[in-house]
Amino acid sequence: MSHTVLVCDDAIFMRTMISDILTQAGFEVVGEAESGSQAVEKYRALKPDLVTMDIVMPDMGGIEAVREICRTDPEAKILMCSAMGQQALVVEAIQAGAKDFVVKPFQPSRVLEAVQRVLG
Amino acid sequence: MPDSPTLHAVIFRIGALVCAAPAGIVREILPRLPATRIPGVAEAIEGLVNVRGSLLTVLDGHVLLQQARREEDEGAIVVVDVAGRRYGLGVGGVIDFLEVPAASVAAQADLPGIDPRLVKAVGVHEGRHFILLDIDALVAPIIGS
Amino acid sequence: MDLSKYAALFLAESREHLSSCNQLLLRWEREPSATDAVGGLFRSIHTIKGMGATMGFTGVAELAHRLESLLDALRQGQVAADARTFQLLFRAVDALGVAVEAAGAGRDPAPEASLAAALDDATAGRGADAPAGGLPVLPGDDVPRRRATDRPRGRSVEVIIRSDAVMRGARAVLAVRRAEALGVVSAVRPPLLRLEREEFDGRLAFRIDSRATDEELAAVIRSAGEVVTVRFPEPLAAPAEPADRHRQIRVDLGRLDRLMKQVGELVAARNRLGVLAARFDDPTLAEQSDRISRLVSEMQAEVIAARMTPVGEVFERFPRLVRDLARDLGKRIRFEVEGEEIELDRSILDEIGDPLLHLVRNAADHGIEMPETRVHAGKPAEGRILLSATRERNSVALRVSDDGAGIDRAAIVAKTRRDAPGEPTPDALSDDLLLRLIARPGFSTAQAVSGVSGRGVGVDVAMTRVRALGGTLEIGSEAGKGTTFTIRVPLTLAIVRALLADAGGERYAVPLAYVAETVEFDARAVTALRSREAVVVREQVIPTVHLRDLVACRERPAPMRRPTVILEIGERRTALVVDALLGQQDIVVAPFDAPRGMPPYVGGATILADGAPALVLDAAALL
Repeated sequence: MSHTVLVCDDAIFMRTMISDILTQAGFEVVGEAESGSQAVEKYRALKPDLVTMDIVMPDMGGIEAVREICRTDPEAKILMCSAMGQQALVVEAIQAGAKDFVVKPFQPSRVLEAVQRVLG
Repeated sequence: MPDSPTLHAVIFRIGALVCAAPAGIVREILPRLPATRIPGVAEAIEGLVNVRGSLLTVLDGHVLLQQARREEDEGAIVVVDVAGRRYGLGVGGVIDFLEVPAASVAAQADLPGIDPRLVKAVGVHEGRHFILLDIDALVAPIIGS
Repeated sequence: MDLSKYAALFLAESREHLSSCNQLLLRWEREPSATDAVGGLFRSIHTIKGMGATMGFTGVAELAHRLESLLDALRQGQVAADARTFQLLFRAVDALGVAVEAAGAGRDPAPEASLAAALDDATAGRGADAPAGGLPVLPGDDVPRRRATDRPRGRSVEVIIRSDAVMRGARAVLAVRRAEALGVVSAVRPPLLRLEREEFDGRLAFRIDSRATDEELAAVIRSAGEVVTVRFPEPLAAPAEPADRHRQIRVDLGRLDRLMKQVGELVAARNRLGVLAARFDDPTLAEQSDRISRLVSEMQAEVIAARMTPVGEVFERFPRLVRDLARDLGKRIRFEVEGEEIELDRSILDEIGDPLLHLVRNAADHGIEMPETRVHAGKPAEGRILLSATRERNSVALRVSDDGAGIDRAAIVAKTRRDAPGEPTPDALSDDLLLRLIARPGFSTAQAVSGVSGRGVGVDVAMTRVRALGGTLEIGSEAGKGTTFTIRVPLTLAIVRALLADAGGERYAVPLAYVAETVEFDARAVTALRSREAVVVREQVIPTVHLRDLVACRERPAPMRRPTVILEIGERRTALVVDALLGQQDIVVAPFDAPRGMPPYVGGATILADGAPALVLDAAALL
């Protein structure tokens, strides 16, 4: 059975790209969220195996969403998607419970390596 | 008199007077240096001189003791430490470095034409009279608070 | 392992963290939704706890642990962040600061029992069966109780992150987090705070107290990804600190002062060398003299740059002060800061804190009105104090503005009349006169007068300190609208670029920082301004000061054509008429024992390139 994924990013472009990379590698993208609060809501509804989480999103940011999700499910497997130069935010996300991170621009191989580590 | 106390003093001339300062407070003797006037301060302050890269405030001994400058004097600066500060005293010329028995220095005496508060004592050495100046009293009215 | 050499690092980093804790607390209190502030607080306190425990400072670690537990509960939403909680948090951060300083001084007192109990009580709002903290960075999270003489427990671990990995610092944090799943991690180097910045060379070291085997540990750490090497150096080997090689070092300020002084002397010697070289017609000598001159200039610029420090370092202590003052006074004050990044010479920065403190305190205490008064006057209940820094020519302006009641000039006039009946006091006060009145020593220490009570406390102190730095203080106040104090200080003290001016054959140095321009004195442009001579320059009427009259120099007749230096401080200008301008020079203001009666316009003295002493004019006193 393939792993289920929730993709969270406020940009359709990024969501599409991440979904494509993961789908081609045999993952099942079960949902997408464009804000932190949506991510929290959909995580609770869908219980995916993996979440990819953008850091900067409107409404509720990615880090807060991680905190919120980990509060109810400390075992949640969340992969942060960060832009260059956001190291402090990435560190904060890790402290909040994120399990790994990838940095834009994405290389499919790097994304899949990170996903394997998180699910490993 | 090997055991009697001795006075070490630097003897210099200011106008017609032969004066002395205790050697203990004298740091060095400098030749006369061009001074930069400081406006607004007492006339007895000659100005600032450059001593090897440091500034020194020089007082004019002639003005302080109301003596006329003598043409033939080359001029010199006696550098003294007073109350933790360093000043130069402009004099006509330095004569000698003396070591005299303290006993030969008499207590303060009234001398004509000199403010008695500036005189600490009067001494005689080998027939020469000299005035031991009270340097503290000399510079007190002039130096900063 | 000898921990004493880490003590200074512990102290410096703890102070940094505590300072940021204060900032975060203030922000959080203001914006309760700023949950990222809680995260930052948690991490800072956590880091202090870890460092304290590693150093064997049980008191620090224990207090930090209790504070951290409360923050965790707050972060989890198990405890509400109300006013009492904030009060407790501020108190605990203060106490932690005291504990850190005490530990640095070799004492390590246990936390005050009442504070410890208050923290525990506040944390106990959390239910007993609540989830075991979503992110205890130290699982198990018991403070290792250890004496300073004990060896830290556990194994040393060295991790190297791949050199081509992106965000190696974050990767290292991830490795630490993974390791924490198997044991208690301590002595992380470089510290977490530095990992967040781009100052990490990929080499991480920490200790771990764990029952897991080396193999299990290595596997877990490697699962963080991008890990090249995991090593377990001999436990008794010298402390591994490969990652502690950062590109910045802390330099003793005294050393920089000496360096600056020597460069100052070098500049003076270079100037003199240039004059000497010009006397000999020797191209080789001239060339070498030029070369030395260039090198000294570069070196001077480097040393000055090394001493420049952002004013934010001084500013950051004020938000807390204003907050506490506002609370004590029952006022509502929003404190804002602008231009924290503007840089000043360290030695000036050290001196400027006090005057600013007086002015900020004044603004909070006497400027901002009580909320009800403000509302009554049609203003928002919350007052505003702005502390700002701006760069102006060769000086920096620091402003403390409030939107309070402004100064009651009539009351000042009345009070001055009462205090000194003989002195004439105009009915209307200009800003300049107002400042002169309230900056009189002890102006307001006399019994309180309604409307002016206390106003001016410290203004005399601020004025004295600022003037001692070669700076100026100005005031602007409008009834009902507020008051602004402006401090202007030179960028650096040690070396000053100055214009040399001649007056009757004497040379005076005018610091360029306050020179707006130089013009030719034009007798036809002379006019009068309030019965003083003035000139019109570009349609502006500027009062004149004739330097030769000022210094009472009459040795030579004044030349026909006289250059005029326009001095400018803020809005104020003075035209300084001189006999001649002799060019610019870098001067080192040299100390000397100033004689009694030295006029205020003499700001100091220097030795010019040709070796002659010259007086330096204080522009502020001429305005």
